[in-house]
Amino acid sequence: MPDSILVIGGGPAGLEAARAIASIGGKAILVERRDVLGGTPDESNYAALTPRMGSAQDALDVLRAGVVDPAIDVRVSTTLTASSGSLGDFAVTLSGPAGETTEHVGSIIVATGFQHFDPGRETQMYGYYEHADVITLPDAEKMLKEHHFVRPSNGEIPRNVAFIQCVGSRDRRLGNEYCSKVCCGVASKEAIEIRRMLPDTKVYIFYIDMRMYGFWENEIYWPAQEEHNVTYIRGIVTEIVGKDGRLLMKGEDTTMGRPLEVLMDVIVLSVGMEPSRGTRDVAGILGIDQNKYGFIALPGEPMDVVSTSVPGIFVAGAAAGPKDLEDTVGMAGAAAAHAVGAIRGSLRAGAGVG
Amino acid sequence: MPIPLTVLEDRREARDERGPTTPPTEDVREKVFELEAKGEWLVHRVPEPWIGVTTKYGRTKKIPVARTWHHKSCGQCGHIPGYSTSIFWLIRKLGLDYNDPKDQTSCTAWNYYASATSNQGAQAAVAMRNFGAAYESGYFPMIHCGTSYGHYKEVREELVHSAKLRDEVRRICDKLGKPFVMPEEIVHYSEWVYAMRGEFAKKQVLDLSNIDVTVHPACHYHKLVVEDAIYDPDVYGGQRTAVVSAVVTALGANVKDYSTWFDCCGFGFRHILVQRDFTRSFATLRKIEVMQEEANPDVVLTHDTGCVTTLDQSQFAARAHNRKVGVPVMSEAQFAALAMGAHPYRVAQLHWHNTEYRPLLEKMGIDWKERWREFEDDLERLKLDNKAYMTWEDADA
Repeated sequence: MPDSILVIGGGPAGLEAARAIASIGGKAILVERRDVLGGTPDESNYAALTPRMGSAQDALDVLRAGVVDPAIDVRVSTTLTASSGSLGDFAVTLSGPAGETTEHVGSIIVATGFQHFDPGRETQMYGYYEHADVITLPDAEKMLKEHHFVRPSNGEIPRNVAFIQCVGSRDRRLGNEYCSKVCCGVASKEAIEIRRMLPDTKVYIFYIDMRMYGFWENEIYWPAQEEHNVTYIRGIVTEIVGKDGRLLMKGEDTTMGRPLEVLMDVIVLSVGMEPSRGTRDVAGILGIDQNKYGFIALPGEPMDVVSTSVPGIFVAGAAAGPKDLEDTVGMAGAAAAHAVGAIRGSLRAGAGVG
Repeated sequence: MPIPLTVLEDRREARDERGPTTPPTEDVREKVFELEAKGEWLVHRVPEPWIGVTTKYGRTKKIPVARTWHHKSCGQCGHIPGYSTSIFWLIRKLGLDYNDPKDQTSCTAWNYYASATSNQGAQAAVAMRNFGAAYESGYFPMIHCGTSYGHYKEVREELVHSAKLRDEVRRICDKLGKPFVMPEEIVHYSEWVYAMRGEFAKKQVLDLSNIDVTVHPACHYHKLVVEDAIYDPDVYGGQRTAVVSAVVTALGANVKDYSTWFDCCGFGFRHILVQRDFTRSFATLRKIEVMQEEANPDVVLTHDTGCVTTLDQSQFAARAHNRKVGVPVMSEAQFAALAMGAHPYRVAQLHWHNTEYRPLLEKMGIDWKERWREFEDDLERLKLDNKAYMTWEDADA
């Protein structure tokens, strides 16, 4: 009976799940679609992590080092293409540089993560594909990583920068009726970084309501205002249009109850999370249920946050819904424990020990 | 410092087709067919051939090419008759079959949107009465008015979701002797113009490459039952409805952007009835003047009755106050007809428009003086022949 666990996805959740499996005496096959490990934080050029501003790459290096272990078979540029069997013996087909191979594993952890919302979709009137100076949180992150925050249209230093919150989140018309949890914190963190880098640049955050979970309130929200003079404005931005070479932001100031029209140089869209294509594809291949938003469903919530609708298949991280990194790695550990436990339980049952 | 000139191209290149697996709204058309399967009503199929266009959430909408039953607009026929004449002229110029019914009733939706009168049953009965009349004729309904179109789509949703309303309206249709029929699609004329724009371009006789156009998308087209409006990734990145703008581009003219494109034209239904000064101010100061300052267009094109009327006929008031107005306004159907050689007076009937349009005609290469002389000759001939109106033969169609 196979004793390995297939971990799908080499981002923070997958890396931590594989490391945890090995640390408690299990074996893992870790597959990653890209040719490097690190997942979305690496692919989307995360620079400083929220809230403590530690280096994202340093944090990923720690996670990558955790899977350098004889008990972990790391396969990059590899994807899952087929699966059959059940708890205790799944036959999985993996497609990689050397072609297709079939492996037998006792259980599976799905750690295929999320993707950033595409702000060009449907009801989004923000002109991401029309105005170069309308950017997203990851676009801003990339510039901050390079210590070069400018107007993409002309390379000039922006005088006014605005963040728009809840782009692709909490939007009933769009169908994404959930909060993506991290955007308020990340936007505030980026706002602080911009103010530090460009002291003459004014930075505004337009929000429905700020959702600063746990300690982020004191670690990010208040320092942004009190120490870095970031201006928070409660308002709904409906549209961005070009005007006189700048960006005219139109909407409503919901505190003052009046229309809002202000000129900005750079507008950062705080794009939320959606299930990644990998998450949707893998869910289909494995036959596991997805919730109405396409994330992996968790039928055992609230006390079981890692079991999917198929016995022996578990999920970790943002594949199951919006997560910050702390929750992601915590969930990965729980998924590892469940996956190892499921194999051992099935081995005992197979040996008649029950 | 290098300026990344390809930033937008790079973004579009990298764009993942990562839309949701299912659109956020139901496809009411599926429910329409389900109700037919249950024997609740008949579904009037879109006749072949039809053209598939893409709506907001990626669904395909069938637009009939021909055999269309023309649900005309009260305001178009009453205020801007060249609007509907141009639609018919375009159809005739392409040699397509159509039906111009004499027994269509008003949709009564203006009253409804102005909070003036009517009720749900009456509104739905008017819609179904007209759909029934179209079905009897064997021609597929095509709605000229944006308000009728938007309202009928709302009525369709109400009928689909309320068995009680269906029963009520079915009884009324029985009493009228009309079949109880829901069309497979509810089609606005501007969707047909959008679908046929390539055909117009083939028959175009004027070079419009020096004509700058601002487009006003009609609220009742793209803000009511939004998922049914046409969107195209090549038009404003798929973020605005593609009708009208795509037609302008197909005809070789230039679409110019302005910041208040999303705003109402000022008509506002209730405002035009009870606060007309507000309408006049909004139309001119919030729309026309902004267009002038930001885009300096040669013409404003739109695709609904109230919008053409309001944007055109409000400008005289602002001009009296020396505001920056004075841009001709017409429908994209009139513009396309002119591009294809339609007579500006016999067909497009621009003499009914309020704002000065003659410099535009000159820029388009139309000798309006000669055309006006011809039109005056027409009128003399009508008098001599003791005729009440011109015919399609007079209009070269």
